[in-house]
Amino acid sequence: MKIPVVEDELAQCVSCGLCLPHCPTFRVTGEERYSPRGRIEAIRQVHRGDEPADASFIDMMDTCVQCRGCETACPSGVPFGRLMEAAREGLAEATRYQPWYRRLGYRALAVHPLVVAGSRLLALAQRSRLVPSARLGLPDRLPLRVAPLRVRAVAADAPEVWFHTGCVMDAWQRDVHDAALAVLGAMGVAARLPQPNRRGLDGGCCGALAGHAGLIDIARAQATATMATFPGSAPILVDSAGCGAQLKDLGHLLGTDEARAFSARVFDIQEWIAAHADRLPGPGPAAAGADRPVVAVQDPCHLRHVQRAHLPVRQVLRPYFTLVELDDEGLCCGAGGAYSVLQPELSRQIRDRKLGALRRAGGSVVASANPGCSMHLAAAGLEVRHPMELLADALGLAAEAGDGDGQRDRDRG
Amino acid sequence: MRGDAGVVCFPLTTEEVQHCVRIAGRHGRAVVPRGAGTGLAGGAVPKDAPVVVVTTKMQQVEVDRDRRLVWVQPGVINLDLTKQLRPDGFHFAPDPSSQQSCSLGGNVANNSGGPHCLAYGVTSAHVVAIEVVLGDGELTMLGGLDPEPAGYDLRGVFVGSEGCVGIATRIAVRLTPNPPAVATLLADFVEPADAAAAVSAIIAAGVVPAAIEMMDQRITQVVEAFVGAGYPTDAGAILLVEVDGLPGGVAAETALVDEVCRAHRARSVRVAADDEERMLLWKGRKTAFGAVARVKPNYYLHDTVVPRTKLLDVLRQVYEIADRHGIIVMNVFHAGDGNLHPLLVFDAREPGVLDRVHDAGEEIVRASLDAGGVLSGEHGIGLEKQPFMGWQFTTVDLDAQARLRDAFDPDGRCNPAKVLPAGSRCGDLQHLDDSRRRQLLDDGAWV
Amino acid sequence: MTATDQSRAGAAQLGRVVRDPILLAFADEVGAAEAGPVAVEGGRTQWEVGAPDVPTAGPGDVRLVRAPSGVVAFEPAEMTVLVRVGTTVAELDAELRPSGQQVALEGFEPGATVGGVLSVGRSGITRLGHGPVRDTLLQARYVSAEGLLVTAGGPTVKNVTGFDLCRLLVGSLGTIGLLGDVLLRTRPRPQHSGWWCGEADPFALQDQLYRPTSLLWDGTRVWLRLDGYHADVADQAAVAERHGLAACEGPPVLPAGRCSVDPGALRRLDAARREAGGFVAEIGVGIVHGRWDGPRPTPPDHQVRALHRRIRRAFDPTGRLNPGRDPLAASQPITAGQEASR
Repeated sequence: MKIPVVEDELAQCVSCGLCLPHCPTFRVTGEERYSPRGRIEAIRQVHRGDEPADASFIDMMDTCVQCRGCETACPSGVPFGRLMEAAREGLAEATRYQPWYRRLGYRALAVHPLVVAGSRLLALAQRSRLVPSARLGLPDRLPLRVAPLRVRAVAADAPEVWFHTGCVMDAWQRDVHDAALAVLGAMGVAARLPQPNRRGLDGGCCGALAGHAGLIDIARAQATATMATFPGSAPILVDSAGCGAQLKDLGHLLGTDEARAFSARVFDIQEWIAAHADRLPGPGPAAAGADRPVVAVQDPCHLRHVQRAHLPVRQVLRPYFTLVELDDEGLCCGAGGAYSVLQPELSRQIRDRKLGALRRAGGSVVASANPGCSMHLAAAGLEVRHPMELLADALGLAAEAGDGDGQRDRDRG
Repeated sequence: MRGDAGVVCFPLTTEEVQHCVRIAGRHGRAVVPRGAGTGLAGGAVPKDAPVVVVTTKMQQVEVDRDRRLVWVQPGVINLDLTKQLRPDGFHFAPDPSSQQSCSLGGNVANNSGGPHCLAYGVTSAHVVAIEVVLGDGELTMLGGLDPEPAGYDLRGVFVGSEGCVGIATRIAVRLTPNPPAVATLLADFVEPADAAAAVSAIIAAGVVPAAIEMMDQRITQVVEAFVGAGYPTDAGAILLVEVDGLPGGVAAETALVDEVCRAHRARSVRVAADDEERMLLWKGRKTAFGAVARVKPNYYLHDTVVPRTKLLDVLRQVYEIADRHGIIVMNVFHAGDGNLHPLLVFDAREPGVLDRVHDAGEEIVRASLDAGGVLSGEHGIGLEKQPFMGWQFTTVDLDAQARLRDAFDPDGRCNPAKVLPAGSRCGDLQHLDDSRRRQLLDDGAWV
Repeated sequence: MTATDQSRAGAAQLGRVVRDPILLAFADEVGAAEAGPVAVEGGRTQWEVGAPDVPTAGPGDVRLVRAPSGVVAFEPAEMTVLVRVGTTVAELDAELRPSGQQVALEGFEPGATVGGVLSVGRSGITRLGHGPVRDTLLQARYVSAEGLLVTAGGPTVKNVTGFDLCRLLVGSLGTIGLLGDVLLRTRPRPQHSGWWCGEADPFALQDQLYRPTSLLWDGTRVWLRLDGYHADVADQAAVAERHGLAACEGPPVLPAGRCSVDPGALRRLDAARREAGGFVAEIGVGIVHGRWDGPRPTPPDHQVRALHRRIRRAFDPTGRLNPGRDPLAASQPITAGQEASR
């Protein structure tokens, strides 16, 4: 099977094995076939035509979380994420690797009203106990209704920043968006939300999930549509590490100058705030005491290994909280977008390691800057909050952020 | 280096390893143990469809603080062990560059070293006892918790035997106390010759630092691109020197190393300000092999050791040999104990390049041995260095090694294709008449 | 074929053939299988080890030979020394002293030879800090049962080429081959060295110290040796003094008898045994000098015994090398005590 890789990139691995301990699936299985080195070797063999793209090969590819922890570990800079996406793209083209219903599902992410409606259906089903949420790795109680976002310091024409809202996150974790916008408001930053074009049916989804699944055409279409919702030259802030990583990589995905220019405007929200920290109100007296909340910082892979922008989370939180670090060098938690649903057993084993690291670190609350990770860890019973929520709390914006118009489902009962 | 496995097993327990070995024996298959697969001499490469016993799932660790030792299963990763011991103030001293990935079982099989074995000794100095599954599937314990177990030092024989006499299933290793003080120095030289001379001068001054590592300009540039440790990329060579121990000695030796380096025309000597900077300096050194694909996608690596005083001379020859064959060579090595690691980097897709690489490699080995060196300092022989064994050892020497191996594994079940070249046994020599025997030896033949 | 023949034939061989005439002469003296049983004699300071029945004079048909002596080459900048094993440890030490170096062979009786110390394989009382005797040996050239010269190990400070015959030779009581010359690792002599003693808990003390050179205990009193730079020894001595130790002359006279025990057993020794004394134990190592009625290590299992038989037969098919000596019996306490020398 022809795999659409750049041959030089495939040749770049010298098989030294330094990636092995940084691969979550190798860590839990101990098997070479579930390691980056083993997967690269398999891709080489299939690409050369020495081996067929059979069920065993598909299993090796599917079990990869695409955390890209191996990339930061790789001294030779092998772009493993691209090799994996290429392998999945090859599979999607040559086989019935992604069935029609999954393709349809990924496509639907771009149609935001559909995502919100679907989420609401799921929330209803959850409340009627029709869906085994824990097993599927879903959050405990999905919101029944989502309130409109309140942007505090809106710029009429030329916003200082754009704020990316995304697809699933906007439906499931709008509280995080609220908190982020509240923080920006407190900084006096004029932010603006993307305007869905084409009758509100496009934009929203950055295309990351489709891209990870090897559905590159869908990913490209979604990315292109999303780009169009952020005109001008203002920075685009993203509070989901996975979406941020994807939007920063559109230059590669689309290969156009326009996309490269767009990607250069994308920042993880913590990254941008850390660079403008002087505009944050200082910590109040409550934050100075010895009884400051102890926060364990969990680095989402797409923040640490892909964007390599995990340090700003600490810069942003440190003035207000006592931070504790995990001792696992940013090993993946096993969430991986849809991975926790598609590979529940491996995902759970990987999460168990993360839970061990969190236990050793201590801390009463976990900070995670990615919705997938936070839902996955919350499903294990941890209190997980987005750094923006913690910051909004610390700045006394929580009540304000949650105030809304009284329309939201606060799960009061 | 490619192989073909017959069956691959992932045992969890000693009993399961015994089962694997017995089943292999019933089917007339050899057994090849494998850890994390970071070896550099092909010791774990399967030949002739053997049963491959992979130990990566054997991960148990039992710390015995009273005895200052820890029992580990062979799959435990070297750096994981050290991290786990850190809260108690101990570490496992051998620290091969692959320590973040390599397993203790592999460390024992190869008698692994690492930068810090200059002062702390290689794996053999840290292994107390080994539970071993022999070639017939029987279990035994080599060495013991007491310091002088009765009989031959079979523990010592097992360490470094590259899986050729059995499979380690539990290993007791000594805990080394973390030094109260550490200083890491980075010295920057225009001329590699000055750096090499400084190494000899440090040792001659009566200082054995914890580590003395040297990196030449090419590898420094490659590694700097990955770690950004602030290595001077315009230096002809850099030395990374670490001294550790009690604060008084660390201060005295830091001053002495600084002085010696400057006396040998170091442009600058920088002492790492904190742990973070130290770790970054070491990260660059330890990921050097993996980083070479930034230049070419393949490498061929030797591991010869030469007398420390011959370092400079052999290094010159290494560059000359590589130039003559049109191959890029990078040098990053344990200068303190004379252990060279010339990396020949190339792109195997280039026609004819493999022949040139092999020729250059052979000449480097020859030059090292001519200088009074040895074939391997820490990577072992495996498959890849077998052809050179006869350059260092005579037939009689190799026969002695073969006798030892055969005494452990009379049926030749354990990793039989490795270490000793075919024909190392000269048992037949006894039965030949004298003239025939003399003729064979005169021909330099393997008998 | 004699060793000299071997050397001549070796001209055409690729490996490193031994051409040292003194070693060749030693090999020819040992001779091949036809030359019959042979035992090697050093300083006779540990003559009884592993040979309860061997008389102290050469028994009837066993020929006694002596290994050649003399320091062949000492390279201070290499920190190695090539020495013929008939040399005494004291002579070797005197040779290295002017260069500020030493080998980690310390605490042996006067007259003990390098070959004897290596072949017996017992370490001195500084093992805690200097490591065991076996770790000093880098290369050995020995005469095999066939009368041929064999090189084990290699001439550099680091070497993993082939199987580790050096480890097999140390403690083998001359049953694998008869040592001719050896390359030993040297180490810098410490700037300062001293002993401290007094009544203390040796285990609490050990936990407070960084890598002491020796820590001895008779159940009540502790003797501590510290080596290193002046400032460091002073700092560590201050720790010892807080535990009730004071500077003293040196280690105690070690009582007769010696056995190797699990160092964990020392820690768990009951009060009655501690108070009864009669022993001097090396803390952190597990060697006990004198009377020991505490737990002993489990004897080697039948697999280990079978390995010993096979190895010995492989290296010495006719049983001519040091007959009567059994390395497996070497753990029995010896009758003559090993006196500590300062």
